[in-house]
Amino acid sequence: MAHKILLIDDEAGFTELVKMNLEKNGEFEVEIQNDSTKARETALSFRPDLILLDIVMPGMDGGDVQAQFQSDPFLSKVPIIMLTALVDSSEVSDGAVAQSGSSIVLPKPVNFPLLLRVINEAIEAA
Amino acid sequence: MKKVSVVESVLDNLPVAVFAKDANDDFRFVLWNKKQEEITALQASKAIGKDDYALFSKESADYFRSVDKAVLTRGKLLRVPEEIIESEAGHDIHLRTVKIPVIEEETGRRLIVGISEDITESVKSHKELESLNKNLRDANEELQETQLQLIQAEKLESIGRLAAGIAHEVKNPLAMLLLGVDYLSQGIDPEDDNVDKILKQMREAVERADSIVGGLIDFSSQQSLTCEPVSLTNVVDEVLLLIKHELTRSNTKVEVDIPKNLPQVYLDLPKFEQILINLFINAIHAMSESKHPRLEIHARTEILDKVAKNEGARKYEIFRTGDKVVTLEISDNGSGIKSKDLHRVFDPFFTTKATGVGTGLGLSVSRKIVELHGGQLTVKNRSIGIGAVASIILPTRLDSGKVAEKPSIVSVPAESGKSAK
Repeated sequence: MAHKILLIDDEAGFTELVKMNLEKNGEFEVEIQNDSTKARETALSFRPDLILLDIVMPGMDGGDVQAQFQSDPFLSKVPIIMLTALVDSSEVSDGAVAQSGSSIVLPKPVNFPLLLRVINEAIEAA
Repeated sequence: MKKVSVVESVLDNLPVAVFAKDANDDFRFVLWNKKQEEITALQASKAIGKDDYALFSKESADYFRSVDKAVLTRGKLLRVPEEIIESEAGHDIHLRTVKIPVIEEETGRRLIVGISEDITESVKSHKELESLNKNLRDANEELQETQLQLIQAEKLESIGRLAAGIAHEVKNPLAMLLLGVDYLSQGIDPEDDNVDKILKQMREAVERADSIVGGLIDFSSQQSLTCEPVSLTNVVDEVLLLIKHELTRSNTKVEVDIPKNLPQVYLDLPKFEQILINLFINAIHAMSESKHPRLEIHARTEILDKVAKNEGARKYEIFRTGDKVVTLEISDNGSGIKSKDLHRVFDPFFTTKATGVGTGLGLSVSRKIVELHGGQLTVKNRSIGIGAVASIILPTRLDSGKVAEKPSIVSVPAESGKSAK
């Protein structure tokens, strides 16, 4: 059964590539939302199993979106993986994974095999 | 009223001390006016008929006597710019004295007439002034050094921020490249439609990263002012890309309105980009409190019909009526410029930002660069709505403006700079 992933990031080129890679490497159905202000609406109708969320975005940034999702009974239960170009090497410990509250943060450029692993683990854990 | 002579009256009321000694009578005092009484704290009755040795210390008296003798020898007026006597009270009195040898008409006596001004206060003030002056000079030096330090810090800080912004902007294309490589390294299936899409995106990603880094190299280069014909649209787009991170972070909406048929202008690209970056960032900061920050960039062609005398054209005439120019306006919807600050915005080091946030060099350097281009930079509040607008007027003639014979390096203070002690 395909897992649904919602990808929220303002970079259209980036999101397309992530989608292509995910769909090639697993049973994933990927929905893209480049406009963070529409993220909640899209999430509620798409009902993803996991959310990939960029941090620096115009309109609402990743932090705002995450806070917004926390207040929704369904969305607050969906695991979120945050992606960012802002993390510098000192914040990244082994496995190239950092924690932000209860979310996992992955630095960009994204190490795709790592991303896959983290996605699968998160979906399983949920 | 007692009957007195005019001379006596004058002597008694003069604000300067007047005295006289009889050279033939051991230099004893024969005249001692009221002011002299005041200065020396010695009554005339105690002084007349006595000589310096009876009234002053031996040291002082020796000195006075030597001056008196010199006056007699010279036979003419002698000025003593400053001499110090000790008052009865114990503190020093500074006097400026003139001594004149006189042969008294009535008696034929050889007199030495002395006129003394009490300059103690003046000397004291002078010393205080000098001390204050020195303090001021020291403070000024310190201030200048601090300013240089601030410029350095601001440069580093803005370079830091620029670097962070650029790093962010470059990481995105890199991420796309990596994802493309990840995808393709799993084997290229000729039936896969995605492959073409991915390759195209990878190519674009490289071009984008290259343009950002290229912009950075231009920004830091130290070339002299060399101009080339450019299209303003391209320049504006490039700069917007360079500061994309700041725009995103501040949630600023950008509106660009540059007509397609705008004539080309002659610009030193890296230097001009420096100006635009400065103006755009200023605008973003001015809108930091706005809920909907909007940066508007308009350009148009104009034929000047009225060239007003303007401050920026101090050194040379830049434009003449009838000139065809390109006007670039950068507007924000921030809080605008306070009227009291309007005429100071171009002063070096003037800034309205809090201490530690920017040194205010940007506008003064920007204006200088625009003027070297034969153009004009002005800043004022919008006539409609709130916010400020910066206008850059650029000539379309290559030979506009009587600029320096050879294009010169724009000198910016503290390139290497005096560093902190």
